[in-house]
Amino acid sequence: MDPHIKKVYVPMTETGFYILLCLREEMHGYSIVQKVEKLTEGQIRLTPGTMYGSLSKMEKDGLISFVREEDKRKIYVITDLGKQVLSLEMARIERLYRNMKEAAQ
Amino acid sequence: MKKLGFRFFDITDYEQEQEYLALMHKKGWRFVKFYPPFVFVFASCEPEEYIYQLDYNKEGLENKAEYLKLFADCGWEYITEWMGYSYFRKPKSRANEDEGIFCDDESRLAMIERIFKGRMIPLLAIFFLIIIPQLFVQRNLAHIPLANFLYHSYIVLLIVYIGIFIKFAVSYWKLKGRVR
Repeated sequence: MDPHIKKVYVPMTETGFYILLCLREEMHGYSIVQKVEKLTEGQIRLTPGTMYGSLSKMEKDGLISFVREEDKRKIYVITDLGKQVLSLEMARIERLYRNMKEAAQ
Repeated sequence: MKKLGFRFFDITDYEQEQEYLALMHKKGWRFVKFYPPFVFVFASCEPEEYIYQLDYNKEGLENKAEYLKLFADCGWEYITEWMGYSYFRKPKSRANEDEGIFCDDESRLAMIERIFKGRMIPLLAIFFLIIIPQLFVQRNLAHIPLANFLYHSYIVLLIVYIGIFIKFAVSYWKLKGRVR
């Protein structure tokens, strides 16, 4: 993996993480907003300025790719590079979680 | 009924601009259009608390239909655009507490970086390629009244530009500090 990509995305923002997590299935920006709201029981409400910026940046960096457009909504899906970044992030968060649990015992 | 508002906001003042538009709406004047550099057109309306937000995203404006659709889906009404800035509003009654179009500092910083690329670089070019050289040219001709006048005008511009650069740098570093 390009060291620049790793530097920018690991660790990544919560917004970035949820976008990649959702885009394991084809989705458009607003459906990601809705899904994240459901997943976090309303705790995280992604906003359109942040969402639009993140999606176009991730598309430029090759983490996600544009699939098609439906009713003026751009549908994206994660790429292989995106999956690699996501699994790095997942490993990091798992380690974080494990250490937190151990420290709390 | 229409009303004009005269206010000047430079490119780093978008937060003050948002507050001004929200205040006008609260007084019963909804924002309609902006005529640069300082004329705001308002139309009378029911006084209501609205959140006003500015985004600077040229790429979004190039894909305007999709860009505005995402904002509309999230409940933001698009009002108008100017020089890469898009104006949005949402009634407070339908918004979450402190809702804006950005939900993290990283994306706020990304917007400032887009403003830097789109707006500050041209200003820096004008500053170094026109203002500074002209200052020296006109100073050497200062015995001619017109050149003397121009010389002083360029000094004023120099001060204004330096002020904008400093303000921009301060707001950038403040946000940068929060992100780290």
